[in-house]
Amino acid sequence: MLRKTKSSPDATSQALGGTPTSHLFSSLAAILALLVLSFTANANDLTTESRIPFLHNIQLHDAQGKVITPPAALTEDGKPQDSRATPYSPAQTCGKCHDYATISQGWHFNAAQGNVKPGRPGEPWIFTDPATHTQIPFSYRGWPGTFKPSDLGISDYDFITNFARHFPGGGVGEPAKIDAADPRMGRMQITGALEIDCLLCHQSTGRYDIDSRFTAVKGQDFRWAPSVGAGLGTFASFRSAGAMADQWKPGRTVTTNLPAIRYNRARFDADNNVTFQVARRAPANNCYYCHTTETSLGDARWHSDTDVHLRAGMLCVDCHRNGLDHMVVRGYDGESKDRSVTDPMVDLRVKMLRRDNAALTDDDAKKLARTQLQSELSQIDTLSCRGCHMSGRLGSPALIHKGMPPIHFEKLSCTACHSGPLPTPDQTIVHTSLAHKLGLPAPARGKETAPIIIEPIFLRGENQLISPYKMVWPSYWAHLKDGKVTPILPAEAAKTGTMPKQPSDDIQRDPYNTKPLAAAQIQSILQSFPENSTNGQTVYIAAGKLFRLEKNQLISEENPAAKPYAWALAHDVRPASQALGARGCADCHSADSQVYFANVVARGPIDATNALSKGIWEMRGDDKKVGSLFAYTFVFRPMLKVIVFGASLIVLAVLIHYGLRGVGAITAVQSRKTPP
Amino acid sequence: MSLYAKLFYAAMAIAVAFLAFTGIGTFAFGKPPMTHWVLMAHVAVAPLFAIGLTGVALTWSGGTRSSTEPDKIIPAKWCLWLILLCGLIVMLSGVVPMTPVFGTRGEHFLYLTHRYSAIVLTIAVAIQLVFFLRRPK
Repeated sequence: MLRKTKSSPDATSQALGGTPTSHLFSSLAAILALLVLSFTANANDLTTESRIPFLHNIQLHDAQGKVITPPAALTEDGKPQDSRATPYSPAQTCGKCHDYATISQGWHFNAAQGNVKPGRPGEPWIFTDPATHTQIPFSYRGWPGTFKPSDLGISDYDFITNFARHFPGGGVGEPAKIDAADPRMGRMQITGALEIDCLLCHQSTGRYDIDSRFTAVKGQDFRWAPSVGAGLGTFASFRSAGAMADQWKPGRTVTTNLPAIRYNRARFDADNNVTFQVARRAPANNCYYCHTTETSLGDARWHSDTDVHLRAGMLCVDCHRNGLDHMVVRGYDGESKDRSVTDPMVDLRVKMLRRDNAALTDDDAKKLARTQLQSELSQIDTLSCRGCHMSGRLGSPALIHKGMPPIHFEKLSCTACHSGPLPTPDQTIVHTSLAHKLGLPAPARGKETAPIIIEPIFLRGENQLISPYKMVWPSYWAHLKDGKVTPILPAEAAKTGTMPKQPSDDIQRDPYNTKPLAAAQIQSILQSFPENSTNGQTVYIAAGKLFRLEKNQLISEENPAAKPYAWALAHDVRPASQALGARGCADCHSADSQVYFANVVARGPIDATNALSKGIWEMRGDDKKVGSLFAYTFVFRPMLKVIVFGASLIVLAVLIHYGLRGVGAITAVQSRKTPP
Repeated sequence: MSLYAKLFYAAMAIAVAFLAFTGIGTFAFGKPPMTHWVLMAHVAVAPLFAIGLTGVALTWSGGTRSSTEPDKIIPAKWCLWLILLCGLIVMLSGVVPMTPVFGTRGEHFLYLTHRYSAIVLTIAVAIQLVFFLRRPK
């Protein structure tokens, strides 16, 4: 829904600011203000309700809701002056017409709210530190196999400091209240909150500067990042907000002399409006900033065909849709069961219902709204692979699957055959935006660049369907006490001083310090950790194993803490002609099938010889004997077909023979009964 | 009746019993469709059924036209034609899905056809066996 403000209260108050100060005029002004404000309240509900995009030629507002007016190029006495002003606030600017509170319930922002069902496990954030050979998957959603940031001692502020690069703002970036006594959170009084940056997804010009935004958030210039990213101006200070916050301590006064944005005057028209070219249907490239998964690494990128849907002209948001609440459809089967109706959506619907029926009581309207919204959740299921291709939505080709027995659809997800790279004996290493900072300029990332994520691993999901997964193994130094493993964060681990230092002349060749740790090095590092009976024994988790010292000897063993984290993959989707099974049953049903019998070597920052190795069937909980024998039966399948078709032919011939004789006998009897 | 005819019939009857046990048994008492060992065992015995049925078709069908048999076994004769017809449908609906001819809907239709024609076939074989066992010596 797009709602247009004819005039804002701020503009009104500014206009009133210039009225004469006499009592009479003051009274008149007050009455006039009330009239205008009442008009404004209605104006906020204006909507275009058209499919034509609305031209967003609007005023910018800062975090206090004030209209931003960059100073004129020249002062009154003709001297040039800087175009400095406070940074624009997406919450105040976009929120004038779009319900920011409702939007902030969206999937991209609500991870830490705690009242949202986590749904199918998805891609985690991965805390990566090559120097200490650490990679820890974590998530606010509490997906099994991930840590929660609080378990790792990562505060919300630390999270946005490290991950705002690919975090669109809102949620933990925008706490309801900033605790000034908290030495971390209190910094936000200076750095500002990281509001939802609407343009990160919705700008349609391709001119959003993600690199500049990254520079801003790296310097903890959270308040300024949206202005810089949108190209409205530049950060007008030599010192970052983060550096200023470094000098602040709880209890101290917060400086009011904060940096400004040096606005690009060319972006403002004569009425002080700025034109934003935005799209409700976000362009795929905007999604790709955070959701790129690249398997064609380095100069092999030109080998990639990308997703068949995008090739057909679709956008990500054609399937991954959302309403005003921005609860983006993730697109997996059964997702509607993992979703619930949010209160802001109920409130919005209540408003609409009562507009159409004034007789509805508030309670009845709420009940009706909730029922309607709950029923609409079933729409989500029509946006999964099956939902779309079985209903023919968007002209999707109907499911044909010639020669594929239906049991496949009861055992496999669509993605098992159609998504991700084709299975190979060593699996494929994949880089993702969130894990490898794709989209931001950095030295070329290689196959060994941490974190090492591989795909496709064919596992059985909660719905018991076999699907392809991405997989990453955690690696970190930790304390083991009473069977519980507690990670040691990189900063603490680095204090041992025994982490192998990369030779300085090797940094240019290998900027990501990918040289694996040898067993002797692990042993030496473990020995260097100070003994502390309170914390327990120091161990190292990597490549599917737990390494510890026993009588000063390094031993390794399987441990639940070392288990990999896996999440289902769905893209890139390959065309039907390149699906598994398109070349015949042997794509999967053969003795060397990678779907059944691939060997998965756990990846991590240690020598592969020390890594855990498991059959993919074992990870899935399958019986290898059954799989092997079943694959072997396909050798005899042609013979079975010959026997059965041959037998059928003979039986058919016998039936036809005696059938014809029977018909002949009937006609003979009839001819005897009928005199010539 | 020749020894071959008896052997073919025995082979077919044993195969039907086994296939019914694995197939209809899974449908009636287990969790269809068949998988793993049950499916492999089912498919492994299928050729025996095909050969047995073919032999029965070749060696028994002529006898049904003889008028020397007692009237009591006339229903059994008609069962033979039903067995041959259902057997043909069962065989074809079993192997045609292994060829790239039918799509998802066709495959599902064949799967159901296989199931229900197999049930009719089993009943027909059972009836025929009952009649044969009660046949006067």
